[in-house]
Amino acid sequence: MGTSFEEKSVWIQLASMVLGLGTYFIIAGGMLSGGVREVPAFATLFLFATAFMAVLLIAGHIVAAIASRPEGRDERDRLISWRAEHNSSWVVAAGVCGAVTCMILGIENVWTANLLLLSLALSEVLGFVLQLIYYRRGL
Amino acid sequence: MAQPKAVIRNRIRVKRFEHGEMTQQALADLVGVSRQTINAIESAKYFPSLEVAFRISRVFGKPLDEVFECEFTK
Repeated sequence: MGTSFEEKSVWIQLASMVLGLGTYFIIAGGMLSGGVREVPAFATLFLFATAFMAVLLIAGHIVAAIASRPEGRDERDRLISWRAEHNSSWVVAAGVCGAVTCMILGIENVWTANLLLLSLALSEVLGFVLQLIYYRRGL
Repeated sequence: MAQPKAVIRNRIRVKRFEHGEMTQQALADLVGVSRQTINAIESAKYFPSLEVAFRISRVFGKPLDEVFECEFTK
């Protein structure tokens, strides 16, 4: 079975997220271990990572659109997306619980912010992986 | 109370060939879904909504139960 434009789009989103936010977390980890604690420094880094991700997403979708005709989402694509989101959203919930715990314990804001961001990134990555599994194995 | 398990099968592949060896892409275009969705339905990896099932039956000009069948097993 060939790959639809929607499935290719999921691959592109997954790769962009892993490369973009992966780069952010590698650099942010280095900054944290180097003693940087100012949130604006991480916000700037995050902005660059987001811009990098956007470039990858746009370039990837242009290439995919040239390679195969975009058909638009149908009911199967929507169901796969909903089910993957439903089964991956617990990661964000766990991250929020962790962030609240960090605040109660008085841990520095920079850790809380990065924990929230990490949970959001992991939730998205899990969602994309689940979508690809549902596309390949069926619902 | 335990419900009997429903096993849904379809004869889309047979119907396509009965309709001048219609391709999956041609059927997909007529139904309004992607070719991959037709492929997934044919290989029982995806069970369509009633709307799409009726649309497929309409393309073949057959009643729903001639294209799709449901068997209940214990």
